[in-house]
Amino acid sequence: MFEISINGNRRQAQVDGDTPLLWVLRDVLGLTGTKFGCGIAQCGACTVHVDGSPVRSCRLPVSAVGARSITTIEGIGASPIGAKVQKAWLDLEVIQCGYCQSGQIMSAVALLEGNSNPDDEAIDAAMSGNICRCGTYVRIREGIKRAANGG
Amino acid sequence: MIGRYRNWLLLGGAALILAAVVAWRLLFLPDALDFAGGTRVPLADYGRSGIAGVPEELAKAEPLARGKYLAEAADCAACHTAKGGRPFSGGRPFKLPFGTIYTPNITPDRETGIGAWTDAEFLRAVHKGIGRNGQRLYPAFPYASYTMLTDADVIAIRRYLGSLAAVRQANLPNTFAFPFNQRWLMAIWGAFFNSDRRFEPVRERSVQWNRGAYLVEAAGHCGECHTPRTLMQAMDTRRKFAGGQAEGWNAYNISGDRLSGIGQWTDAELTEYLAKGHATGRGVASGPMAEAVELSTSRLTHSDITAMVAYLRTIPPVRTKASPAMAGPAPAAASAGPSGNVPGKRIFEGACASCHAWSGRGAITSDQQLTGNRAVNDGSASNVAMMILHGTGGTPERPGAYMPSFAAAYSDTEIADVANYVTARFGAKPSRITASDVKRMREE
Repeated sequence: MFEISINGNRRQAQVDGDTPLLWVLRDVLGLTGTKFGCGIAQCGACTVHVDGSPVRSCRLPVSAVGARSITTIEGIGASPIGAKVQKAWLDLEVIQCGYCQSGQIMSAVALLEGNSNPDDEAIDAAMSGNICRCGTYVRIREGIKRAANGG
Repeated sequence: MIGRYRNWLLLGGAALILAAVVAWRLLFLPDALDFAGGTRVPLADYGRSGIAGVPEELAKAEPLARGKYLAEAADCAACHTAKGGRPFSGGRPFKLPFGTIYTPNITPDRETGIGAWTDAEFLRAVHKGIGRNGQRLYPAFPYASYTMLTDADVIAIRRYLGSLAAVRQANLPNTFAFPFNQRWLMAIWGAFFNSDRRFEPVRERSVQWNRGAYLVEAAGHCGECHTPRTLMQAMDTRRKFAGGQAEGWNAYNISGDRLSGIGQWTDAELTEYLAKGHATGRGVASGPMAEAVELSTSRLTHSDITAMVAYLRTIPPVRTKASPAMAGPAPAAASAGPSGNVPGKRIFEGACASCHAWSGRGAITSDQQLTGNRAVNDGSASNVAMMILHGTGGTPERPGAYMPSFAAAYSDTEIADVANYVTARFGAKPSRITASDVKRMREE
């Protein structure tokens, strides 16, 4: 039995310790906003925050979470920066098919939490691990800049 | 005239002496335990048990369980199983400078395996490197180490192998060219470099130390990869455990040197590495060592791993130039790293940073840490590039550290670029490998 903090709530899961967090989120706890993409931490679709850092949940064993707090796409709107990013995403219609976008938003929020005004290089460094099959990269970059400038 | 003649004579004499010294040093090497000093005694004269055989925990186990344990300690499975093949059925290629050799089938099939062998023939092969029909075996089969195994342990392994399902799979011939295809030459090699002596403990040392020596030297045959080889392809025991090569990977210095070897590792780190294939901040066992951990050391009892660590601790330090002091922490900011390798950085940010993090401390789990890792501090970048090409783990048998293979995703040039970026950002000695280096590594 593992007890983890997700979006401010204590949640329990009866799983093996090597179960990846993504499986716990989606299959056990019903938080399906976080997506499964590649399963090998190469696409970014499953990104969640672990104590504020962007982490690929498909490779994070639930036993390694410990007391750290998890934030998922379902909870990101509760933070001021998270809300700004969501608004910028809607205003600019960043999303096309949307499958990768919860991961994109999680990585973008983590970037802005540590760097309130990122330049293109910093955006590339933080976002290159999030792949978008629809190629919405230009709008993602715009969305991050709009959120940085107050939304 | 006479003066000149005398000069030639002197010169010739000096050359002869030099040649004799070189030959002597090439042909007569210290044995595995000479470094320890003390009195070597036959096992029976040591007076205490617990050196050979299985550990105490298994003393009452079934004979086959004991044989299995010893076969795992000797890691027979790693070499005698081809990729995707049936265990112990052989066929795994080893590319050597003289050609490729394939391991034989050691399942009990009577025609293609060793089912028809007598115990005496099996013992002769393991101890002396002589095949069933009297043909000499190449020392790719580590009989120079296995020769130290006791008869009882070799027979226990034989019983275990005999209990496995027979697999009918013919052995593949090696591709050695002349003169290396002359098997009888191995008799000369063996005369000098295979002691053909069973393990002799050091009387002054503890049971634990001698048990560790037996596991490391005889069964584990660690030196076969971790000790550099002489021109004659013998283990250069004067530089014991100073590092060697295995299938395109560097097998690092595991002597007691604090800079080049494992002198700074704690006992707990060494134990964790051998038991699990990873010690936090020290890196992950990969390539052939990942197999050695998976198939051998991880299956040993805690007491045996502790004994191996106790023994390894006493190996004299050997400083090697190729292993410099390791670099400290790396910057956390992406922009702060090495400049001038834009393609390497691009690939790192897309494919590597999400797990390893820009700081190199690991973004998801501690086994992703790059800083403090010997491979990353190795200016040849061999193991970094091999890891990028081949990845590690991801199987039910190896549930620990995992990295995907990038061989199909990137070109040789791209893999060289990102390997060079990794060593420059996180290591002590930036590498400068090229696409042709990576091309060669792909073929390993």
